[in-house]
Amino acid sequence: MNILTIPLRNLRRKLPRTLLMVAVFSIGVASVTALIDLSKAVGESLEAKLSAYGANILVSPKTETLSVGYGGMALGDVSVDIKYLKEDETLAAIKGIHHKDRLSAVAPKFVVLTRVAEVPVGVVGVDFDQERQIKSHWHAAKGSLPGDPSAIVAGFDAAARLGLAPGSTVAVEGREFTVSGVLGSTGSEDDRLLFADLHALQAAAGKENRVHFVEVAALCSGCPIEEITAQLTAGLPDTDVKAMQQVVKSRMMTVDFVKHLALAVSGVILLTACVMIGLSVFSSVNERKNEIGLLRALGFSKVAVFFLMNLEALVLGAASAVVGYCAGFAASGRLMALLNLGDQAAPAFDPVQFGLTFVAVAVLSSLASLPPALAAARIEPSQALVML
Amino acid sequence: MLVADNIVKAYATDAGNAPALRGVSLRIAAGEFVCIMGRSGSGKSTLLNILSSLLSPDAGQVRYQGRDLAGLSARERDRLRATDFSMVFQMHHLLPYLTAFENVLTPFLSSLRPVSAEKRRKALDCLARVGLAEKADRLPGRLSGGEQQRVAIARALVTQPRVIFADEPTGSLDGDTGRHIMQILAGLNADGMSVVMVSHEPGYAAMAGRVVEIADGLVKAGA
Repeated sequence: MNILTIPLRNLRRKLPRTLLMVAVFSIGVASVTALIDLSKAVGESLEAKLSAYGANILVSPKTETLSVGYGGMALGDVSVDIKYLKEDETLAAIKGIHHKDRLSAVAPKFVVLTRVAEVPVGVVGVDFDQERQIKSHWHAAKGSLPGDPSAIVAGFDAAARLGLAPGSTVAVEGREFTVSGVLGSTGSEDDRLLFADLHALQAAAGKENRVHFVEVAALCSGCPIEEITAQLTAGLPDTDVKAMQQVVKSRMMTVDFVKHLALAVSGVILLTACVMIGLSVFSSVNERKNEIGLLRALGFSKVAVFFLMNLEALVLGAASAVVGYCAGFAASGRLMALLNLGDQAAPAFDPVQFGLTFVAVAVLSSLASLPPALAAARIEPSQALVML
Repeated sequence: MLVADNIVKAYATDAGNAPALRGVSLRIAAGEFVCIMGRSGSGKSTLLNILSSLLSPDAGQVRYQGRDLAGLSARERDRLRATDFSMVFQMHHLLPYLTAFENVLTPFLSSLRPVSAEKRRKALDCLARVGLAEKADRLPGRLSGGEQQRVAIARALVTQPRVIFADEPTGSLDGDTGRHIMQILAGLNADGMSVVMVSHEPGYAAMAGRVVEIADGLVKAGA
C-alpha cells in the first residue's frame, strides 16, 4: 500500500465512470494512432506513385544562351556552346550526396540529332533500367523494350513517321541498331524520339563518358527538396541543378496536406480528450472536498494532495494509452486494406512508437489534470472543516 | 504543553463578522484529559480546531511545546498533524473505498513508499485496541456507526500522537456506544496520551480530568 492505493481504489469504486473515461480517451488515442499510421502510409504511397511519373531534379551543364533577333524577327534563344557532363564524375557526385538514400532514380541522357531515311529525328541514349523507374508508364505497343546494347526503341509517332516496326534496322552515327519495340503513346515528347542504349550511342557518336543532362527522381516525403538540390549543387560546381518546382511543389503539397490534415484532426481529438480528463478530475475534486480536507487534517501535505489527484489522471491516461494504441494499431491495418494501401508494408508493432505514445498520453493526461489538482492542493483543512 | 493565549476568531457572514472566540486563554498539560463544554455556537469547536492547528486565530497565540503555531511553515504544520496531533471528528469520515484496516493506515499513505510491515502490525494492534481486529477487512459501509467511530479512533492512534483532539466523538452515537467510545478515550489518556475533547454531554464530560466551560466565545470556568 502507498499513495497509489487511494486513486486506484477510488477509480475501482466508480468503475462505470472510470471505464467510460478510459473508453473515451482510448478512442482519441486510437484515432490519433491510426491517423498517424495512415498518413505515413498514404504519404509514402503517394510519394512512390508520384515519383513513378518522372524526375523532379535536372542536372545539366552550365550554358550561355543568346537571344537572337534580326529585322524585327525573333529567332529565339541560341546556345553559344554545347557542353557535356562527364558521366562517371557526375553520377559519382550525385550518388555521393548526404541524402543519397532519398534518390529513387538517376537517369543520364545523351542526345544525338540524326536523319533516318532522310527524316530528321532525335535519338536519346538512356540507361533503360533507370529510365523505366522514372517512366513507369512506358510500355511496348509492339515488340519489347530493349534488352541489349544494339537494340533501339521507337516512340509512337516516330515509328509511324519513319515506318519502323520491331525488327527494322536504323543507322545512327554510322552504327546499325535493331528496333526491338515501339512505345505506346505517352502524350509527351517521348512519342517523337528514338531511345538507344546510352553507352552504345555514346560510342557511335565518339563521345564516350559524355552526357547532356541527368534527370534525378528524389523521394521527398519528409525531406526538403531544397536540401537535396543544394547538396547536388555543392557536389557539382560547374553544373546547373534545377528542381522542377511545379512537380516538387505539387508532390510536397499533397504529402503535406495529408500530414497536416492528420495532425489537425489528431490535435482536435487529443484536445477534446484532455478537456474530458480535466473535467473528470475537476468533478472528482468537487465531490471529494471532504476527503481532501480529511487527508489534510491527517497530515497530507499540499504536494501529496496534488500528487494524489494527478495520479488519478495519470492512471486513466496510462490505461487509455495501452488500450488506445492497440486499438489504433489494429484499426490502421484494417483501414489500409480498405483504402487499397496494400502495396505498403502492413504496420508493424514498433515498441519505440508505443513507448512514445504511452509517455505522451500519460504526460498529456497529467497536464490536463493540473488545474483541478492545483485546486485540490489549495483546499485548506479549515475550508473542509465547514463540511466536516 | 499546549497553551492558548487570548485567542480571537470571527467568521465573515452576510450580516457582517460573527465573533466565535473573544479572547480565550487555556493551558493544557501533558497527559491531561480536558473536555471543552458549551452550548451549540459557543465557540468550542472553533477553539478545538485552532488548538489542533486546523484553523488560524485572528488574534492571539497558540504555543505547542513552547513553539508558536503561527510561526510554523505549512510543511511544519502538516508534519505536526502527521506526528504529534490526531483528530477524531463527530462524523468519522472514513474513506468508503478502503477497508477498516486500510483506513487506519491512511496517515501513512501520503507517499509512494510502501507501508512497512511494522506499520501494518501497528494498525492491527490499534484495531484490536478498539475491539475491531476481526472486522479489519470490512468496508465502512458494512460497519455500524459505533464501529466506524472506533475505526476513526484507531486511525487517530496509529501515528502514536501526543495529543488526540476529538470533536464531539459521541455526537452521532447512541448512549451505550457513546459510553464505549468514552471508555476508549479514557483508556488512551490513562496510557499517558493527552486528550482534548469537545462535548455538550455532562455525563461524558464527567469522565474527563478537567472541564472547560465556554459561553459566548469566552471561558467561563476551568481555564
